[in-house]
Amino acid sequence: MRVRGRPIPKVPTQISGLDEVLEGGLPRGRTTLASGGPGSGKTVLGLEFLCSGAMAGEPGVFVTLEERAEAVRKNALSLGWDLAALEKAGKVAVVEARLYGEEVISGDFDISGLLAIVGGQIKRIKARRVVIDALDVLLRVFGDPRRERNELYRLHEWLIDRGLTNVLTAKVHREGDAAPQYEFLDFMADCVIRLDHRVIGQVATRRLRVIKYRGSGFGTNEYPYVIGDHGIVLFPLTKAELTHQALGPKVSTGLAGLDAMLAGGYRRASCVLITGTSGTGKTSLACTFVQSACRAGERALYLSFEESREAMVTAMLSAGIDLRPALRRRKLMVQTGLPEAMGSDGHLIRALQAIDDFKPNHVILDAVSACVRMGSEQAAFDYLMRLVSIVKERGITCIMTNQITGLVGTDEELSGIGFSSVVDAVIQLRFVEKGREINRQVLIVKSRGSAHSNLRQPFAITSLGIEIPDSPRPPVDRAGQADTKDGGK
Amino acid sequence: MNHSLPAKVRRGKGNRGHYQLRLFMAGDGPNSRQALVNLRQLCQEHLKGRCTIEIIDVVKNFRAALKDNILITPALILVAPLPKVVVLGNLSDRQKLLLALRLPEGYP
Repeated sequence: MRVRGRPIPKVPTQISGLDEVLEGGLPRGRTTLASGGPGSGKTVLGLEFLCSGAMAGEPGVFVTLEERAEAVRKNALSLGWDLAALEKAGKVAVVEARLYGEEVISGDFDISGLLAIVGGQIKRIKARRVVIDALDVLLRVFGDPRRERNELYRLHEWLIDRGLTNVLTAKVHREGDAAPQYEFLDFMADCVIRLDHRVIGQVATRRLRVIKYRGSGFGTNEYPYVIGDHGIVLFPLTKAELTHQALGPKVSTGLAGLDAMLAGGYRRASCVLITGTSGTGKTSLACTFVQSACRAGERALYLSFEESREAMVTAMLSAGIDLRPALRRRKLMVQTGLPEAMGSDGHLIRALQAIDDFKPNHVILDAVSACVRMGSEQAAFDYLMRLVSIVKERGITCIMTNQITGLVGTDEELSGIGFSSVVDAVIQLRFVEKGREINRQVLIVKSRGSAHSNLRQPFAITSLGIEIPDSPRPPVDRAGQADTKDGGK
Repeated sequence: MNHSLPAKVRRGKGNRGHYQLRLFMAGDGPNSRQALVNLRQLCQEHLKGRCTIEIIDVVKNFRAALKDNILITPALILVAPLPKVVVLGNLSDRQKLLLALRLPEGYP
């Protein structure tokens, strides 16, 4: 007879994003192996699991086989966990169990001493979780793969017999698989998490992958993560279903003329790309929107990879756009940064933190073209896809500028790095020469789910701001008929 | 002339003092029993009348194991004479044990 499988009990790690990938957390009362190279964050993962457990009423024992207990406490403190206080409160026990390599070996031995110590501490604080950090260091003393394996199985059984949810960490050789003598670890553990720290295009990147999870489904991709001020943050973007909110109602662009071209303005929760060559007014157009939205009492987060906040504010003043009141009233937050300063993961977490803290209605990203300097086109693509995805999920409007160098053909070129599927509207700015004059023109190339003008409209940037003549003609229906179901009239 | 011998031992008077040993074992397993037998035999043959053995079962006394950082059992600590030495295992390698305890019989 076939019965419906019952989901196995899990313990949430509270690590941002990880529980999503693990579909709930680590297997309760079972062994999880976290392996990775040096600096990949194994210890941090173990610490977070243990500390969040201790705070949630599940005391735990942390066994450190490599670092000193004091170093572990310091490490935890830098992530915001006061281990010493948790120890004092009887919620955590740190066991420093290090071999010094000076011991003389005479005859057979085993790890009963360690088990006795850990067992004693477990009893003392009624621990439910155990983390053993740098298992491989202990195993080395056996100097014999068969003995290592036996002792490890014994440890594994010992932990499981006591119903302890445990995380064992071990070093593996660079980039990829466990050293041959530790392959059995992967078989032994019920859940195996591989942490990888590598350099792509001169930028350090971290990737996490769940290799197996007995009795449970899990996200099977490689997920980028960073080790931030509060520990590990994972970005599980690639969920099976797209959960973007439907495009929202219109919001004014700040210019009556442009609103008319767009049949009312930008759609909320949409992604708008403003593209054009250098000096065509992309930033001015974006800032006009910021000024207008902030005046209406909404919040805007401006991510600038091109210039400092002060330089931007000053430059906009000369174009008749005053962002200072918005800044003063804390309706506008400007986050600036050099793309090269950190990897795309670092930029993403910075942006996400700002989004979480500031809760903007709109996010402006200036400019897409600068993101490539985060390391590679792939890095820029990852950053933009994840950012846009998260922003849309929360119903936030996303305005992006993109500097192009040549003539424009396809959407591919419009967005620079081929993420046009997430772009809902494209506004193209360009210069046109007429005799000795050079003039600006704006064109709506694409506007999903909305009617829009098909005319190139002249505009000017004056000391009083952008001037677009009120539409001489009402918007006509766009050429693309693919998504007309919610199209405006 | 044997240069591997410490000067004191060569002069025939070194390490003739009292030996203080501490043996950590875990319960009554084969390794524990083996270690105890081996240690008693060694004392009988080489340290007769001048050694004290303290036996600690880590299963019953984990705090003692914690204090001496005993992760591996059996483990023998040479408490005195200094310097302290730690020997891991059931002590079945007599030669290594003698050397570790700085007993002249250990030197070839």
